[in-house]
Amino acid sequence: MHRIEVEAEVDLLAENKRLAEENRKFFRENGILAVNIMGAIGSGKTLLIEKTIERLNDLKVGAILGDVVCKADYERVSKLGIKAEAINTGKECHLDAHLVHHKIRKFEDVDILLIENVGNLICPVDFDLGEDLRVVMVSVTEGDDVVEKHPKIFTIADVVIINKLKLAEFVGANVEKMKRDVEKLNSRVKLILMDLKEGIGLEEWIEYLRREYVSRNSG
Amino acid sequence: MHEFSYAQALVENALRIAESKGAKRVNKVVVEVGSLLLINPEQLRFCYEVVTKNTILEGSELEIENTEALLVCENCGKEYRELSSVCECGGFLKVERGDEFVLKRIVMEVEDAQN
Repeated sequence: MHRIEVEAEVDLLAENKRLAEENRKFFRENGILAVNIMGAIGSGKTLLIEKTIERLNDLKVGAILGDVVCKADYERVSKLGIKAEAINTGKECHLDAHLVHHKIRKFEDVDILLIENVGNLICPVDFDLGEDLRVVMVSVTEGDDVVEKHPKIFTIADVVIINKLKLAEFVGANVEKMKRDVEKLNSRVKLILMDLKEGIGLEEWIEYLRREYVSRNSG
Repeated sequence: MHEFSYAQALVENALRIAESKGAKRVNKVVVEVGSLLLINPEQLRFCYEVVTKNTILEGSELEIENTEALLVCENCGKEYRELSSVCECGGFLKVERGDEFVLKRIVMEVEDAQN
């Protein structure tokens, strides 16, 4: 018996990068705007998807709902009569390009694909799904320090939504501070203040999505 | 805790390479972890221990090499060591280094060649 040292140099994230690029190519070729919606548990991701489907009824919208277990979100969304798929990640706390890759063929004919990631602000960050837009949704009830506690996810976001505005005064959250924290980390981000239950900010989000959809399909 | 899936990917690949070399036992696995990745080294070590149970990697040392972040402005070329999205000049920053998760080396014991 003797000891040897073997050079390996295996990039363990390469497979995710490769599949993300394949997903991106599929979305581009089929004129699909793919949106990765990330955010904490209870921040309002599923409700945002429901409202978006209702409002964009002139476009074909599809949805992939990621969760660790159970299909509750999938059942909520598929009631709206759109194409939807559930991904149960089992023990995983994020979606990856591979899991999404298995599901996207079915969405070839949609205009906008909304992908709800598993609820948390840490694990989804390192995994590119091949999406066009990264949305991070937080709510004031998570505490107004939620942004500064999770800087990385806000840095990679294209859109940040701060939800449940109307509850800020009851939970003592300083929305201005949350806004400042986001802008400090990411000055190019599209920031939307929202209260989904009250309908605040929804219009701005829908218009933004429409603009992105049109601009990606006119190039 | 996504360190578990990182550990799984690491161990699967290390095991595949070790077996292809005819290893009887693995003593050490060296992995490069970029500082921008949200990986907690302690959790990675714990998961590594769990995943390697009942394999030829059981009890082996996990050596973590940390790579510092390097971001470069696509517009003016200014370099940054910490994560940010936009440069002072308004240009976008590109990650040059710090998001790697690479299986670098494996130290293993193999049978002496029989003549």
